[in-house]
Amino acid sequence: MGDTALILGEVFLDTLSYWWVIIPTIFLGLIVGGVPGFSAANTIIILMPLTLSMDLEMGLVFMVSLYCSARMGAGIPAILVNIPGTAGAAATPLDGYPMTQQGRGQQALAMTFVASSLGGLLTTIIALAAMPILARVGFYMHSVEMIVVMLFGISLIASIAAEDMLKGLIAGFLGLILGCIGTDVIYATPRGTFGLLELYDGVPLIPALVGLFAVSEAFVIIEKKMIITKAAQATMAKPSWAATFEGAHIAFQRWWHIVWTSIIGLVIGVIPGAGASIASFVAYQQSRSFSKTPELYGTGHPEGLIAPESANNGVTSGTLVPLLVLGIPGGATAAIMLVVMQYHGVSFGPSLFENQPKIGYGMFMAMAVSYIFMFFTILPLSRYMSRVTTIPTIYLAPMIISFTLVGAFVPREYIFDMYLALGFGVLGYIARRTGYHVAAILIGVILGPLLEKYFLWSLKKSEGDVSILFSSTIGNILWLCLVLSLALPPFLEYRRKRKAKVT
Amino acid sequence: MNNKNEKSHRLMGEELLIPAFAVIFTLYFLSTIWHSPWTAKVSAYLIATVLMSACGLFFLKTGLLVKRGKASLGFGKVFSKEDITGGRVGLALLTIGYCYFIEDLGFTLTTFLFLAASMLVLGKGKRPSLILVISALMALGGWVVFIWAFDTHFPMGWFETTMKELL
Repeated sequence: MGDTALILGEVFLDTLSYWWVIIPTIFLGLIVGGVPGFSAANTIIILMPLTLSMDLEMGLVFMVSLYCSARMGAGIPAILVNIPGTAGAAATPLDGYPMTQQGRGQQALAMTFVASSLGGLLTTIIALAAMPILARVGFYMHSVEMIVVMLFGISLIASIAAEDMLKGLIAGFLGLILGCIGTDVIYATPRGTFGLLELYDGVPLIPALVGLFAVSEAFVIIEKKMIITKAAQATMAKPSWAATFEGAHIAFQRWWHIVWTSIIGLVIGVIPGAGASIASFVAYQQSRSFSKTPELYGTGHPEGLIAPESANNGVTSGTLVPLLVLGIPGGATAAIMLVVMQYHGVSFGPSLFENQPKIGYGMFMAMAVSYIFMFFTILPLSRYMSRVTTIPTIYLAPMIISFTLVGAFVPREYIFDMYLALGFGVLGYIARRTGYHVAAILIGVILGPLLEKYFLWSLKKSEGDVSILFSSTIGNILWLCLVLSLALPPFLEYRRKRKAKVT
Repeated sequence: MNNKNEKSHRLMGEELLIPAFAVIFTLYFLSTIWHSPWTAKVSAYLIATVLMSACGLFFLKTGLLVKRGKASLGFGKVFSKEDITGGRVGLALLTIGYCYFIEDLGFTLTTFLFLAASMLVLGKGKRPSLILVISALMALGGWVVFIWAFDTHFPMGWFETTMKELL
């Protein structure tokens, strides 16, 4: 114990000495996280020669800082212009963007920075302390359990559909069937591809995200001079530090909310392949389900913003657990980290913490230090970042279209993906205009293929016997949690109303 | 008052666009898996059942509202005359042009032309010199950050190739 504390102290000081790497990387991460298509993983790949030329410790500090800050950066355009930088921030605009429209963009940014930094820092510490236990989560999560986790995410459609159940279901299930496009996972039979080879791998996520959120939003905002309301323009004309402090204060007041939603992110992050988008949807849905004011969600409610942001930053530390303990990367960025570490001859598993403890603990420490630096460097910027909303839409809309459409091209380098984004843009525009939620469509596109994959694996294992879905203890506990999380809120609401009637 | 009128007479024609698309696409999707193994079908059948039922209910609801005179099958929010005068149609055409020309002209030049043309269309031709400066700065900024500094694989054209040879 004493030895570990000594190592941790030493590693902390070592990591601090890399401040000159961490601070510029944070700003780089904010940029690449904010532009759809430019994920941290892509940037690390692009900068691979640079990373490999650094010594291992510095390379890891660089990659980890970039990973954390890109995650936080994805939330900035989601709040300010309703365009999530990555799928992990797709739940952020649900409450973040209404806040911006009300002229509370600065508060929203401050809130998200506090929630992300605190959530990330807290889950890093928890991951460090509970690594052996958390590592087992990945072992016990098989296809059956994953189906229930996916259903937790998909149940957000029901929340979104609360205002108009039919429209919510149509949007969500349209997303799910669009997500089924491509070859099936067992026999590779092409389905709904219109004969286009580019769709055989399924609907790529970035063009869908760009189209549904960015392109459609650009075509909607041109109706107004600015994206914020006239009343909000008056507020924004006199920016002050008070708004930043107010946002930070609101987030700190909800510290318990940050704690439990970031732990949702941590646990989902530990499951290889799950990822930030599922975590943020699940956290948002759970936050809404157990809120005393669920009707405020979607109108610019602080908890609706804090939940997905804490959760998607909780995922970052979660993905490191299976990577370091089992050598299984939990996502694309973790996979690239694995390659770099293997290049430097690092071996994974329990031996890593015995033979090279400074590397094992160092990655978590780099994450913790990055979050501390991020808190102090980015929070003051919220005052200036929120000024984006005062740019006239005649300049903003074309910029959004050009830079996000080309972002849709980057991951696969197909011009087809730009047209696909345009197609999703038309769908998103019609959906926005006619009262269908684009987030519900996106949830379907993201989670549909994953749900199908795990469902088919389960059925294949059981030779078509559906009862396999209720065959595992963990799975059954998760089913119970899912049913409770869906049934309890309406029941509690009913009781509250009855009590109010009696009194 | 306006709100009340809107609620009492909804334009349901445009609200049917998404369900209509959903039904057409689902039917097409099912036609592509008709003779496929069950693994390719099972999930799609489950989703299609819920989706078609939801769309069916929505069509029924619309029919009832129209019959009671509370709604009409009109359009108003999705497409109107203002879309032409306000520049939305122009922006849409320019966006299609952006996707079409970017492969040959490359990122920087196409982005500059697209930004300048669409800002001029949306701004109704006002402040052309400011628009040209902003467009040039944005396109060049994009080239510096993404292509020159990060070597991102953007569509290459005359400008990118020339700059690569020069630098």
